[in-house]
Amino acid sequence: MSRSDDPLVGTGFRDRSRAQLGQPFLRQAIPRATDHTIAALHDRFADVDVAALRERGRRIRAETIRDLDAHLETLVAAFERNGITVHRAADAEAARGRIRSICSAAGARRVVKVKSMATEEIRLNPALAADGLEVVETDLGEYVVHLDDDRPSHIIAPIIHKTRQEVRQSLSRVAGRELPDDTAELTGFARGQLRDAFLSADVGISGANFGVAESGTVVLLTNEGNGRMCTSLPRVHIALMGIERVLPTLDDLAVMLPLLAGSGTGQLLTSYVSMISGPRREGEPDGPEEMHVVLLDNGRRALLGGPFEEALHCIRCGACQNVCPVYRQVGGHAYGWVYGGPIGAVLTPLFRGFDDGGELPQASTLCGACDDICPVKIPLHDLLLKLRRVGGGRAATRRERAAATFWAFLWSSGVGYRASIAVGRLGLTLARVLPARLRRGPVLARWAAGRGLPGRGGRP
Amino acid sequence: MTRLSGVSPAELRPGEDAIERFERELGAVQATFARSTPETLARRIVEALREVGARHVGLTADLGGGRRALVEALRAADIEAVHYEAAAPSRDALRAMDATVTGCVAAVAATGSIITGERAGRAGALIAPTHLCVVERERLLDGLSQALRVIAGSGSSMLALQSGPSRTADIEKTLIMGMHGPKAAHVVLLDGRLDEA
Repeated sequence: MSRSDDPLVGTGFRDRSRAQLGQPFLRQAIPRATDHTIAALHDRFADVDVAALRERGRRIRAETIRDLDAHLETLVAAFERNGITVHRAADAEAARGRIRSICSAAGARRVVKVKSMATEEIRLNPALAADGLEVVETDLGEYVVHLDDDRPSHIIAPIIHKTRQEVRQSLSRVAGRELPDDTAELTGFARGQLRDAFLSADVGISGANFGVAESGTVVLLTNEGNGRMCTSLPRVHIALMGIERVLPTLDDLAVMLPLLAGSGTGQLLTSYVSMISGPRREGEPDGPEEMHVVLLDNGRRALLGGPFEEALHCIRCGACQNVCPVYRQVGGHAYGWVYGGPIGAVLTPLFRGFDDGGELPQASTLCGACDDICPVKIPLHDLLLKLRRVGGGRAATRRERAAATFWAFLWSSGVGYRASIAVGRLGLTLARVLPARLRRGPVLARWAAGRGLPGRGGRP
Repeated sequence: MTRLSGVSPAELRPGEDAIERFERELGAVQATFARSTPETLARRIVEALREVGARHVGLTADLGGGRRALVEALRAADIEAVHYEAAAPSRDALRAMDATVTGCVAAVAATGSIITGERAGRAGALIAPTHLCVVERERLLDGLSQALRVIAGSGSSMLALQSGPSRTADIEKTLIMGMHGPKAAHVVLLDGRLDEA
């Protein structure tokens, strides 16, 4: 199995993050990029009551998910009224199968894609390629990811981990000549390549940021405009939509659009918001002749009514990644699957099971920064704690587990607690009188390298 | 005022002037803003298209009664002007367009957005490097929630909100305009109706 097939299997978070930590560019690039987004968010939302807006967002998501089946029924009826063919897929394999058979029925040879986490989740591209289809990702970042047989490392910014030089090398390979070291030129080259793809593709495949039940509308957000190109020019449009992405009304959409754009990129709205309510109708100048929506379950329904239901409130803005001290160091690839950061540490074990993803909830300092920024107020750190309990400490080494058991035993009695304090005091006294080298000792040497012990009287 | 005023940044604040805010937000999303009367509209559009050196211009059906005068003015200025819906079936014709001129279903003052419907073509506003949108004054709405309410009843098969030109920041966060759609987006606010132009 190649690394792009399923890196989650047979590797551990420790190994994956160690590999990422060895890349100095990544550790500079992520904070630089994400700080920019966070600053823009604060700037654009400075003079409104953000707390009230987030509370509106939370309520909309909570009420919708609580009654998901009813809203889905309304959505499906509205889609069908609009001439959209609806398919339901219980898992990744079913979804791939549906999409493959639509492509085959359409006699498709070339497929253009809008960046979509759901299609990443079901590993759609290799399946289509195996059918002999040419698949072109049209989001610039995702295009480069695809050229490099790599994986996106951020929900919104897929090549946050790549330098301009790396992008230049990838695009130069396509060009068959050395492209200039200039972002505008590189982008211009990609524009030309992708323009050809849009104009010659038979099928366009997108995700769905939202599906509005009231109007039967697929809502797509992009800044590049590729969402609209992919859904306007090819003869067939297929949207893969996670069943949780339903919104009951357009009023709800008016709340969610700025929350998603603000949290994702620090904009009021993304440059393009497509609201697609069916294929081209009689007398219209352009648009696809056929439109399909594939509703993807893939582990979502199982969360309804359970302790992790709030994970379904997520609108995939990526804000929790931007503020997470762990993500900011290790990047998205360390999480091993599609979703990184705090929401990835929640979704991966829930969707993929604890055998492969069970250690991810440990990849958190529980600082709560993700809770504070989440536009729909998902209590991420509560979910992480709950998952740690359910997961049963799979990530811990035997020594760590033994130490935790001993600690729990010690502090469960008054005598034991006081004894541990006495030993601790003794240790601190020793630490003050011993020379620096001995104070740290072999065990704490690495930890102590960047830290000081309190001096006399508890002052540092 | 909507119930989201003061809560969502996509709505006007109480007492805020819609046109002033529209102009400011268009600037914030790197679109240009100009005002025109029906009498000066054709001249303004010809000037703007000359400035970017446009040779092949597509005009969409949502310009309504104003389209004929615009086509004539462009042709008089030696700019090839075609009806978008006539050109759309040909991939070569779409490729050749270096600008499109559309009307809109509505515009949103608080976010600097225009909303085009299927009469502008799903791809009409983004197929060419330059897009020019004519917004009739009465189509300018305060905020996003009002706009979504208005268009909800329109029964359109496709509506596109667009705020400024196409952009990407995927490569080291450097902002580049014109990734797939237009590099330049111009908005002309028309004090009057298109069929008076």
